[in-house]
Amino acid sequence: MQLDPSDARECAAALRSAAEARQTVRVRGGGTKADPDEALPGDAVLRTRGLSGVVDHVPADLTVTVRAGTLLRDVQAALAERGQFLPLDPPHGGATIGGVIAANSNGFGTLRYGAVRDLLIGTTTALTDGTLARAGGRVVKNVAGYDLNKLLVGSLGTLGVIVEATFKVLPLPATRGASVSSATDATSAFARAGAIVRTSLRPTALVVDHERGAWRLVVAAAGEQAVVDRTLREAGGDHVADPDRLLVPLRDLLAAAAEGAVVRATIPLAAQPPFAGGVSRLDGFERLVADAGTGIVHVHLRGDDATIAASTVAAIASARVLGGSARTERVAPSLRRHLAALRTEPPGHFLMRRLKDAFDPRGILEPERSLA
Amino acid sequence: MATPFVAGTRGAVLHRGLVDLLGEEQVLWQKHDLQLYEYDGAVDTATPDAVVIPRDTADVANLARFCSEHNVPLVPRGAGTGLSGGAIPVEGGVVVSFARMSRILELDAANLRAVVQPGLVNLHLSTAAAPHGLYFVPDPSSQKACTIGGNVAENSGGPHTLAYGVTTNHVTGLEIVLTDGTIVRLGGKAHESEGYDLIGLFVGSEGTLGLITEITVRLSPLPEDKRTVMAAFPTMDLASEAVSAIIASGLVPSAIELMDQLATVAVEASVGAGYPLDAGAILLAEVDGPRDGLDDHRARIEELCRANGATSIRVAETALERDRLWAGRKGAFAAMGRLAPDYYVQDGVIPRTRLPDVLRRIAEVGERYGVRIANVFHAGDGNLHPLILFDGSLGPDVLRQVKAAGVEILRACLDAGGSITGEHGVGMEKNCELPLQYGPDDLAAMLHVKRAFDPAGLANPAKIFPTPSRCREFSLHAARSV
Repeated sequence: MQLDPSDARECAAALRSAAEARQTVRVRGGGTKADPDEALPGDAVLRTRGLSGVVDHVPADLTVTVRAGTLLRDVQAALAERGQFLPLDPPHGGATIGGVIAANSNGFGTLRYGAVRDLLIGTTTALTDGTLARAGGRVVKNVAGYDLNKLLVGSLGTLGVIVEATFKVLPLPATRGASVSSATDATSAFARAGAIVRTSLRPTALVVDHERGAWRLVVAAAGEQAVVDRTLREAGGDHVADPDRLLVPLRDLLAAAAEGAVVRATIPLAAQPPFAGGVSRLDGFERLVADAGTGIVHVHLRGDDATIAASTVAAIASARVLGGSARTERVAPSLRRHLAALRTEPPGHFLMRRLKDAFDPRGILEPERSLA
Repeated sequence: MATPFVAGTRGAVLHRGLVDLLGEEQVLWQKHDLQLYEYDGAVDTATPDAVVIPRDTADVANLARFCSEHNVPLVPRGAGTGLSGGAIPVEGGVVVSFARMSRILELDAANLRAVVQPGLVNLHLSTAAAPHGLYFVPDPSSQKACTIGGNVAENSGGPHTLAYGVTTNHVTGLEIVLTDGTIVRLGGKAHESEGYDLIGLFVGSEGTLGLITEITVRLSPLPEDKRTVMAAFPTMDLASEAVSAIIASGLVPSAIELMDQLATVAVEASVGAGYPLDAGAILLAEVDGPRDGLDDHRARIEELCRANGATSIRVAETALERDRLWAGRKGAFAAMGRLAPDYYVQDGVIPRTRLPDVLRRIAEVGERYGVRIANVFHAGDGNLHPLILFDGSLGPDVLRQVKAAGVEILRACLDAGGSITGEHGVGMEKNCELPLQYGPDDLAAMLHVKRAFDPAGLANPAKIFPTPSRCREFSLHAARSV
């Protein structure tokens, strides 16, 4: 069954009908994160693309309100006409705003601009009881009531369907630039990245990339010419005028890796060198891309199922031992069941369970994805 | 609906039980002791049945278990500087003071994190981090006294959160104690953690979801340099135009503050910050970051101020001068004592572009109610702080009038598309007004969260959400039928 609501009320009504019929629902935005094998034959698929368009952009307030089914790239195009941008650069240009929020999809700009949770200031969400719940608002500072925006970021459609969102936006930077340099090993690559993190320079990307024995440091900067110049000077290496030439392949490589598995680890900053050193010696190791300013490290593994399974387990265990967490981002279908068994309950799981039960008492939303 | 509150064990039985559980040293129960915990930085008061000063997480968990068994509310308290009555025990019960849990447990410069106890004073953290070239970004005006636990509970801001975010953007780990005594550790030193963002929910929940016993915060590199500009304008309208022009220019200053003439006069008398007394408005702007280009930013701000009618401009040449300019802003609330015995501060937020018309409406409210209103606020993010001046000794009618004026100001903010609170919290001060901002369906969703964390309703009851007994017009029930 296909559900294609054309406005927020219709979306809420569709959820309510589904809940009454105990009909399970998959929520689809751009479908960039969706796993085609995940939906079961009896599931209804709710597509948000009908809920699209920019509702309000107030350049002088640096805020934009958009319907959740709008493609991120369309939002960026609309903002660019007024010289502004939403400082989110996740993989998948085809992702919708609702999908970016639900999947907590971030790019390399987090160190400079913050992540989805830092930029999202308001939401309207359709719930399974047929209501529309608003949280936050259209002002950049707001502590009235609970911050349900935070609960929705990364909730993967398990609590409700986001229908509208308001973000902080920024003026487009005057200049951009990037540099790439090689490093001898993990320690020196991360040490150089760490030195930049400790300055006021706030680069727009700070990436350690490791493949086939080579270590590279990619640094991007945006803003005033003088600051961009200095950032790239301190980063060293070869300058590249268009940062996207370096960054987009790195970002999309992880998203598009069809073969094998991608493990996404989030670890304390200082744990990156030992983590990177360790995983790079695992069987099936293909590539590592670390957002060195946030400690979010993607590891691509390839090989036969047994190798990938063993190395995935080792990478996740390493992240946990080092004070972080990890999960698989992309897994070949043949491995999914095996790796699902590795999932552990995060701290506070019983509270998440209670929240899920309160927002979706019949458990109709994204049943396989439920965090609980 | 919020769980209706039912009074549990009180009086001598409660005191004895708490002393048996935690020891004499940890419990205050005599009248003269309890009176010290009747108030915070806002205008309402209520007396607790007891005050407990725990030494560690185990004390807090034991206390919570005891209170849960005896149906006694728990009201956490940091330094009591809050401006929405968050630490006031409206329904009585136990006030939990974190005065003894005030240590930095770990300053982890390599990971840009600090692990602290909730009673740590905000400024002490930045002072301790400074030798490492780091600081904690949120800087409420009360930062010399307020605690990090209080900052987390209220999601506090401050002048410098314009560019770098408020408290919620700087917390990566929490240890919490639920009202049934369960200890939960969430997140840690990593950038994010697994599952739903419970930390994001907890920050700003004003003590209504449980008690905070440990916090892991992000530390940021100290800016390489700063430039601070003070500009005087003949009118608030011109100053507001200058703020809009600065924001629109693409500059992202770390702070843009405004102050009206009434506030300026009081501040000058009390702090002597060097603000011109004849100005209709004083603008304080700061840019920070890499030294390169900073003077250029400063020059552009000066230019935009002049273009919008600034009559005089001063740039802080030394750290001492900068501190003096900021001392005026940070001491502004305290300086109100020069103008009137009491003040009632509002915290509404508006879209930045609406500053001039909302300020006019606030002035009209002042005229209509016959009260003087001073304005000192975070103009860069549209967070107003109108200070309604009054004399509380003239009786409860005066306070009632002042509060009514406050509600009108909040309505003006909401009419402009804003919020009733930007950083002070809803507390017991504005809980009856929350339904002006959010409808019944919005509040129902928020109450799912309350019930998930605190099903018994013992965590700081009668805060944030309207209660039937105190909010005649705006109980949740009434709102639902509108």
